Amino acid sequence: MGAQGTQNRQMFWRIVRRLLTANRGRLFVILLALGAGAAVTSALLNLQVDAKRRLTTEFRRFGANVLVTPSDVSRASAVLNTLPASIMDRISLESKSSRATADPFLYFTSVLNLKTAQSPSQIPVVVVGTNLSKLDQISPSWQWKRMMPQLEAERPCILGVRLSSQILKRKWDAILLAPGAQSKNLGGGSNSYECTELSEFSSGGPEDDQFFMPLADAQRYSGMEERISVVQLSVPGTAREVDEYIAALRQRLPDAEVRPIRQFTEGESKIYSRISGLLTATVVIVLLLTGLCVMAAMTNVAMERRNDVGLMKAIGGATRRVLRLFLAEAALLGFAGGMMGAAAGIFLSIWLGKQVFGVAAQPRLIVYPVAVALTMIVAILSAYPLRRLAGVRPASVFRGEA
Amino acid sequence: MNRAPTSATTELMFLRLVADSFTRRPRRKVLTTAALALGMAVVTAALSVSLDVGDRLASEFRSLGANLVVTPAADSLPLEIGGVDYRPVNAGAYLPESDLPKIKTVFWHNNIIAFAPVLEVSAKFPIETVFAPGAPPRTIPEMPIVVIGTWAAHPVPLPDGGTFTTGITKTNPWFRVDGKWFSDQRPIERFNVGSMGHTYLPGNPECVAGEKLAARRSLHIGDQVVVAPAADVQNMQSCDVTGILSTGGAEDDALLMSLSEVQRLAGKPGQYRKLYLSALTKPEDAFGRRDPTTMKPAEVERWMCTPYISSIAASIKEVLPGTDVRVIRRVAEGEGTILTRVRALLWMVTLAALLAAALAVGASSAASVIERRTEIGLMKALGAGSGTVGFLLAAEQLLLAFVGGGIGYSLGIVLARLVGQRIFGVAPAPSMLVLVAVLVLAAGVTLLGSAIPMRRASRYEPAPIMRGE
Repeated sequence: MGAQGTQNRQMFWRIVRRLLTANRGRLFVILLALGAGAAVTSALLNLQVDAKRRLTTEFRRFGANVLVTPSDVSRASAVLNTLPASIMDRISLESKSSRATADPFLYFTSVLNLKTAQSPSQIPVVVVGTNLSKLDQISPSWQWKRMMPQLEAERPCILGVRLSSQILKRKWDAILLAPGAQSKNLGGGSNSYECTELSEFSSGGPEDDQFFMPLADAQRYSGMEERISVVQLSVPGTAREVDEYIAALRQRLPDAEVRPIRQFTEGESKIYSRISGLLTATVVIVLLLTGLCVMAAMTNVAMERRNDVGLMKAIGGATRRVLRLFLAEAALLGFAGGMMGAAAGIFLSIWLGKQVFGVAAQPRLIVYPVAVALTMIVAILSAYPLRRLAGVRPASVFRGEA
Repeated sequence: MNRAPTSATTELMFLRLVADSFTRRPRRKVLTTAALALGMAVVTAALSVSLDVGDRLASEFRSLGANLVVTPAADSLPLEIGGVDYRPVNAGAYLPESDLPKIKTVFWHNNIIAFAPVLEVSAKFPIETVFAPGAPPRTIPEMPIVVIGTWAAHPVPLPDGGTFTTGITKTNPWFRVDGKWFSDQRPIERFNVGSMGHTYLPGNPECVAGEKLAARRSLHIGDQVVVAPAADVQNMQSCDVTGILSTGGAEDDALLMSLSEVQRLAGKPGQYRKLYLSALTKPEDAFGRRDPTTMKPAEVERWMCTPYISSIAASIKEVLPGTDVRVIRRVAEGEGTILTRVRALLWMVTLAALLAAALAVGASSAASVIERRTEIGLMKALGAGSGTVGFLLAAEQLLLAFVGGGIGYSLGIVLARLVGQRIFGVAPAPSMLVLVAVLVLAAGVTLLGSAIPMRRASRYEPAPIMRGE
């Protein structure tokens, strides 16, 4: 019995081997079809997983999407309303997918003095104290016109483009920030601040009218030590992740108001859902139709097996065993084609990722077993029409009837 | 030996052979056609969606709001913190509202989706300021508020005779109103004039209260509110609250009214201070970023004829003299980069789909040639040249390609409609270009797929095949 079983099994695999190698051209064709399916499957699945993650990162080009402001915003005292700078320590930057960026801002108005020998002039400005080195991260879209802020500079000043055009119109020897009649929000600081380094940017927003300086200097200048007006946060992730982050932050900061910048959070989530829907739909359709396509190609090949089946039946092969033979062949083909395709898919997805995002897509290992399994399923499913071969009557096959 | 069929009879025979091969074994042909059709359906769906979606995505991105802002060139610097301008009341310049229809006459007028002028005035609530129905008049403790005048949905008469309805609801789509927006015109109301009967007069203007203002001062839809400009407290104006606005920005603390009402309040008839503009643009590339003043004339022309945001800004500056048109970088840049990425992504997915479909279809047509060894042997045994056999097979494959390609195209169009409808709410229109591309691709792929086995077939020796070896 045992020897018989071994022999049977040996015979089984021998026949399978012969079936596979009997016609090299056909083997090549099937492997090509299956491999193409598997390659595209794995590449698209990989790209889709990668693209969704990368898109949310790309969205951060819009800059900050969450604000932390003082909770009492009654207009009368809004200008004097500030938050303690220590609030920064309570803001956790860990969001679900990657790190958020937070940047404190202090706003007040003061007067910019343009010193000349003859006629000094004054321009009232909104002064913004912030972490200049982080401006680039929180507002990546700003266009720096003259130079990037040089942080070694002792007293750097950054001017919005409209402010700097006002300054360029006049003559001056030195630019000095000094408290003036129109200054608001000043808590009593009285030092002046002379710029030693100027740079300029354009944003298209209200920042174009503003004057930026280092936060610590701004706090000292205005006498609002350890105070800030607002914290801008750039939180990566999908709409739901951002919402969760905001909810968590609200719990941590009961004394401040945390709110999304709806213009961007809503726009982003709308765009994201459209794009990811589009991607998913395209991927599903491509996979489905590629599968069907491979199936049709396989079925075509399977139909020529009538003669083989006829012969096997004629020499006493049971229908079930014959079918098992073909199923084993299909599974083997699917496995081989899937493996080759998935290997090609790795390169395809790396290339696609490079083309789209400029960075190679990280291969997700889970994608490849899925692609191989899918290919095997398609291969086995496409052997389904072979069921009809069960009804083949050997005699009619040998008589050459179609 | 290798004579091509020349006479009428051979041609007839040729056609008959082709027809026969289709009718004799229909099932095999159906399968090959099905593979072809499915592959081409993928191609059609992917192509139509990517072709169509490019434009649609650009308008999708406009949900981020205005990407251009127009301000007076001669303006003094606003001292704005948290949406409140601390400039002295009469500081700053204004722009004439009457110039606005000109915006729709610029070269890129079709790309300008919406614009909305804004005029702000700081105001106060005088005594006895809230009249809620069924409650005694209430007083709001004196405090400054900002009254924003803008268009909600304002018909702009165009120079060509049409009208263009636009306003803040379109430039800032994230503004949400509970209730309804104010109307541009004062509603006409019926007043009883004693014994004389009645007369129709303009009623109270309508206004929308920011959600924080409303919550803090418990304003509700249907209340009547009186405001007065901070500079001229005698010039009071009452309005009916028709909606509560939520924006997540400084507007949540403001009262919004129609532009004309605020112009009256501010004493600046026909003027505005800031214009938000939403334009469909092409993402800026290296060329679009260049300064047009340094370009050669031909380049300037090319630059003006591309809807870069900077060239649209330049053309608007031309029709609105005395203005600064600035690009809202935050919106425009982010939009540009992401749009470029997404388009690339779509094309790559399309390319991958094309590749897979081509390989699968090629494989299937290769298989259909391989299986006909015997037939080819027989034809050769009867004296057909390799050329004739190849020609016959190629004709068959082409016929298959056109039938399969056609079916695939119609199938793909249905699919593309399904996807477009689901995701964008609008189905992509069927395009002739895609049909041609699909048919060419189908023909190319089937021929290429069958070329290798066909070449081998043309070298077959009839005898061994006929013997079944």
